[in-house]
Amino acid sequence: MKTVLVLQSLFSGIMMGSVYALLGVGFSLTWGVMRVINISHAALGLTGAYIAYALSKRWGLDPTLSLAVSVPLLFLSACFAYRLLILPITKAKGLIVSSMILTFGVAIIIENLMVLVWGPDPRVLTTAYSSKVFVVGPFFFQYPRVIGFLMAVAGVLLIHFFLKKTYTGKAVRAAWQQSDAAQLCGINLNRISMITFGLAAGSAAAGGVGMAYLYSFEPYSHNHWLVYLFLVVILGGVGNVLGTAAAGVIIGVITGLSMAFLPYQWVNLLTFGLLMVILLLRPEGLFRSEA
Amino acid sequence: MIPNRAEGTIQILAAVLLVLSLALFPWLEPPVYFISFLFRVLMYVVLSVSWNLVGGYAGYLSFGHVAFFGIGAYGSAMMANAFGLSAVGILLSSIPAGFISALVAVVVGYPSLRLRGPYFAVITLCFAFVVQLSVKNLDFLGGPDGLWLNSMELPVAVSRSIFFEVMLVVTLVAVGVSIRISRSRFGAGLAAIREDEEVAQTMAIDTAWLKIKAFAVSAFFPGMAGGVYAYYLTYIHPDIVFDVNISILIVLMALFGGGGTWLGPVVGAALLSVVNEMLSTFVKAELARIIYGCLFILVIIFMPNGIIYFFRGRSKRASQPATVLTPSP
Repeated sequence: MKTVLVLQSLFSGIMMGSVYALLGVGFSLTWGVMRVINISHAALGLTGAYIAYALSKRWGLDPTLSLAVSVPLLFLSACFAYRLLILPITKAKGLIVSSMILTFGVAIIIENLMVLVWGPDPRVLTTAYSSKVFVVGPFFFQYPRVIGFLMAVAGVLLIHFFLKKTYTGKAVRAAWQQSDAAQLCGINLNRISMITFGLAAGSAAAGGVGMAYLYSFEPYSHNHWLVYLFLVVILGGVGNVLGTAAAGVIIGVITGLSMAFLPYQWVNLLTFGLLMVILLLRPEGLFRSEA
Repeated sequence: MIPNRAEGTIQILAAVLLVLSLALFPWLEPPVYFISFLFRVLMYVVLSVSWNLVGGYAGYLSFGHVAFFGIGAYGSAMMANAFGLSAVGILLSSIPAGFISALVAVVVGYPSLRLRGPYFAVITLCFAFVVQLSVKNLDFLGGPDGLWLNSMELPVAVSRSIFFEVMLVVTLVAVGVSIRISRSRFGAGLAAIREDEEVAQTMAIDTAWLKIKAFAVSAFFPGMAGGVYAYYLTYIHPDIVFDVNISILIVLMALFGGGGTWLGPVVGAALLSVVNEMLSTFVKAELARIIYGCLFILVIIFMPNGIIYFFRGRSKRASQPATVLTPSP
């Protein structure tokens, strides 16, 4: 019985973790490529979740299909936000920290807009298959989690191949490794940064829907998600897509197991403590950066 | 920038006048609301001035300073309850409470001050959460129920005035220490760390020691302020005195005013407290926070060095050194 429980929480941990990874990839990219820490990243993800919620409430649209609306929407608004907010400060000496404070302001604005529009109460994404489960041997898998998992795997792989195979993706990596040399080769750094920022926001929307499959959410949830973002991205190595994915799974498994065996109030303490230990021991991440 | 003698005398006179009028303010018998409001303004001045010692002077952005505030509050409350202190005793207990905070800062700062930039910001934020959650889970600290203190057996107007005067003293000491440090070798060393830590090390500046010293001093005053605040509230709860929003507010106030100068955080804390108070009185809470968020963005884009530099830059652009609040990457 004990092993079944352990394995069960292991599986659900992997599923949770892959969603954390999807949410974290964009955060990791903007940090790694643009030297911008986007505190509003989790809030953007939450926007994706709320769009999915609104569409399924109003027109009964499946949350996965809502991505066709939310991903382009967030991509475009992030490109716009990049021109308006990030570009003016890229020349600043302490870009990382100024961007943190600026995007913190953005996160506050998004959070309170969501309170105004949807109210402060927690919401749950309900679909026709929310309560359905499929059973394999002694294990059971909830449909929403499986869908979130598949979505996360697809999303992370998509971003990975975009960076590895397409011309624009290669330009993004070049900009990150040697921004001066990349500019000499005719890469427009501003355009690349804008695309990266938009891409990150789009992937955040998908990650947010994945999170909504797992947990109930409210306008303040993004603060909590943000901790997981930092955890996953720092553990995986800033800017490292596959590292982020692996770190997501590791964190997911740890939280999954601790949720199963620890009293609830200690789970958060463990998460924060873990982040501190990781920061102190290996601030460069578990995996060597693939740059 | 060293002001010439006449200008310096005028500035000192103005400061003395301001302090005197603040100190005598309760004797005008204003409504208690104003005294309480000024008490909170002064508290935020203390918090952001001391945050500035490490965040502004040295460029190490700590997002966990509320932990020191809360530790001070709990330290003072525990001492008050354990020893059954009198009113004066409880107020004085904020001094050892400040030392407890400073001690914690040394223990936490020793490993974490090796991290830089965003990593330091994140670890301090984590530290604040860890302390809050631990206090919430430890029964001898009241756990999720919080702690009660005996209230001062005096009419409200009198007791609020006493708290106000005590906080004024703490503020003066904190600001005094901040000015003193900014003009000392210690302050110059911190500025060197902010501008380029590697170069500072090469110049034989013991950066590790300076950072820890600054961190300890910058934790001491929040601890004291927390001790006074605990008695002021008479009831403390982890969610109140370890509220992460306080941490963030402190950072914002200091940066808004202009980190790296002693005056910046004073101005920033005073201005933003007034703005905060006006917004929360006249505007819907969500709208107030949206305006607040816009303020963050505007400050970073248009006055990245704070309001002090913004106005100084207007009047005498040439004489300003081009120092920017730039934490090492």
